[in-house]
Amino acid sequence: MGVGGVIGPALLIGAGVVAPALAAGLLPRVARTATLMSLPLGISALLVNLFLLPGATEVLFRIGPLTATVEGLRFAVEILLRILAITGAITLFYLTTAPAALVLDLERRGVSPRVAFVALASVQTVPAMVERAVTITAAQRARGLDTEGSIWRRLRGVLPLAGPVLLGSIAEVEERTMALEARGFTRPGSRTLLWWPPDSTLQRLARWLLVLAVPLVIVARALGWLGWLG
Amino acid sequence: MTDLTLDAVTYRYPHGGALALDGIHLRIPAGQRVALVGQNGSGKTTLVRHLNGLLRPTSGRVLHDGDDVAGRTVAQLARSVGLAFQDPDRQIFAASVRSEVEFGPRNLGMRGGALRAAVDGALAGVGLEAEAGTNPYDLGASRRKLLALASVQAMGTPVLVLDEPTTGQDMRGVEIVRRVIEAAHAAGRTVIAISHDMEFVAGAFDRVVVLRAGKVILDRTPASVFGEAAWDALRSTYLEPPLSAVIGSKLGLGGTPTDGALLAALAPGSPG
Amino acid sequence: MLTFELVTYRYAGASQPSLRDVSLELREGEVLGLVGASEAGKTTLCLVASGLAPRTAGGTLTGRVLLDGEDTAPLAMHELAGRIGIAFASPATQLSGVAATVYEEVAFGPMNLGVPRRELIARTDEALAALQIEPLADRDPAQLSGGQQQLVAIAGLLALRPAHLVLDEPTAQLDPAGTEMVAAALAGLAANGASILVAEQKTDLLAGICSRIVALDGGRAVLDGLAAEILADPRLADLGVAPPAAVRLRRAAADADLPPAALARLEGALAG
Repeated sequence: MGVGGVIGPALLIGAGVVAPALAAGLLPRVARTATLMSLPLGISALLVNLFLLPGATEVLFRIGPLTATVEGLRFAVEILLRILAITGAITLFYLTTAPAALVLDLERRGVSPRVAFVALASVQTVPAMVERAVTITAAQRARGLDTEGSIWRRLRGVLPLAGPVLLGSIAEVEERTMALEARGFTRPGSRTLLWWPPDSTLQRLARWLLVLAVPLVIVARALGWLGWLG
Repeated sequence: MTDLTLDAVTYRYPHGGALALDGIHLRIPAGQRVALVGQNGSGKTTLVRHLNGLLRPTSGRVLHDGDDVAGRTVAQLARSVGLAFQDPDRQIFAASVRSEVEFGPRNLGMRGGALRAAVDGALAGVGLEAEAGTNPYDLGASRRKLLALASVQAMGTPVLVLDEPTTGQDMRGVEIVRRVIEAAHAAGRTVIAISHDMEFVAGAFDRVVVLRAGKVILDRTPASVFGEAAWDALRSTYLEPPLSAVIGSKLGLGGTPTDGALLAALAPGSPG
Repeated sequence: MLTFELVTYRYAGASQPSLRDVSLELREGEVLGLVGASEAGKTTLCLVASGLAPRTAGGTLTGRVLLDGEDTAPLAMHELAGRIGIAFASPATQLSGVAATVYEEVAFGPMNLGVPRRELIARTDEALAALQIEPLADRDPAQLSGGQQQLVAIAGLLALRPAHLVLDEPTAQLDPAGTEMVAAALAGLAANGASILVAEQKTDLLAGICSRIVALDGGRAVLDGLAAEILADPRLADLGVAPPAAVRLRRAAADADLPPAALARLEGALAG
């Protein structure tokens, strides 16, 4: 039984998450965020397996009707490491990638500029809406809207605050569309890019290796090799 | 009525930002009409936001009738100072013009006959009485701005602050704004307006305060601010006096910031 | 050259046309001013001139709009984008929303048109220089003041290097310095052969840069002629358009029954 050891995931975390994070100077942030992300799943995996692993016999300790087992602990650790490997990789990715860089690179490789635009605009939408909401809140407070009173008062304030945010955004859509079209947005085909993330031969090699590694590792495991990884 | 005072007010944007106001000393007695002018970024909007508590000074004090407003909320201060923002679309939310104008007065506790009178008066003041049931977004942009003005004017606060009220208005719109200011003044209210329109400023206000980089560089009557002695200071912040002032100066007629003043000075029997 | 031949335009769902039988000519190297009260049709005319109406704005257009003699009706918006550029009064809606820096924002238009990279950079640098906003190049456009954003929007228009520019109240939100900068940039472009249509309330600005002026009223072009003549036309005030300061002053002097000697003094000062 068992999902398969600790060496494999430990190596992955070390080489694939910790090393790059150290190189990027982001290890503390990656560690903190990945840990936080892993907590919900990790805690439940730990508890379920520690106490309820079927077929486990070696007792670690007892709490009331619950029995913690050694096998359960080992299994839980194996699962936790795998979760950390995944969350570590995800965290590393988004902490080192600017959305614009990602989108522009995709555009360079052939994704339509219109699609790229939607992706980028949706990222920028949130700060723009927040800024709008801040001004609107100030304007309505200046008209006596109470944002510091009881919960009921504050609930009554939702419409005068949400209203202009939504209405204003909708009213703007037509003018925004016109401005975009007047600047050639609907021209078919690709557009000139000012910049895009640089791509070196080494990076390309690394990418191909990673992609090839997946089917290779699957096959190797199926054939029973790499057992030492656990 | 409310006297306003800014006592050594300094404001720095949060997170180590730029200094927007640098030791402002300003006292505005009740009932005065004050124009606040200066380049974009000189601190005009930042200054007026201190009057109703939207911004709190980094150092210095803001006083209403001699009392520090530090402990009072914006909602409380809105009883004394009504502030109309530059962009009407950042405050309009109601489905009808009437409901929009009602919002401010309602927040201040007005009801029934008094509320209706305030709203009717405000709508008539900006020429929107026929549009009471219209959806604000069915009005053009310039009339929405007049709606925003009416919405704040209706609150009846002792102090009325207008952020660029004539921007985007045609001649009739400017005239409407002028009349609203006159009516407020006649009712004893203090009117403070930020404006880029020197001609408008020269004709509608008792006092012009010129800001540059967060400091007050001139604080005088229109005749004095637009008089030749102040031109260097004005031009240092890229402002030009109105034509009447320039002509009056050329003819040696003293301070003539408006057409009326210039013509009066040219008339027979007047010195010069 | 941009020509309107009896253009009538009605927005979708509107009961009345917003433009009626408008004919006008915008020639190379010319700045044509467009005046009229709010809602007289200035914005609509700008939208039709740029091709946005009826393409993006919907609605029905009768009559013809000709670009260098060619009927624009069969042309798509992106085909017109490089030949006619438009700027609106409110900067917030003109910013693309996807540019992290002012530089990228200004480059947005030419990028879309597939302008080769070296030329793209040259055009962007030039546009920034024309409006003296090089210091803003690395700033986030969303963090700028309204006036700065408007300069960025106009720079974005300049970067397209269209032969024809249409500007709808471009200086509405600008301070006097910004207004002056835009006026100078427009005059410079016209001197280099661009044809420019600019709608404005500030007739003093138009007096400085326009060779001809068209006045709209209720969607009709009711006045069309040399700038100096139109701006001095007494009918302008009836149309809700404020005449330039000098014209207004002369008229007020004449109405005030000043003696000829005083009038002569005034005239002398105005001319000098």
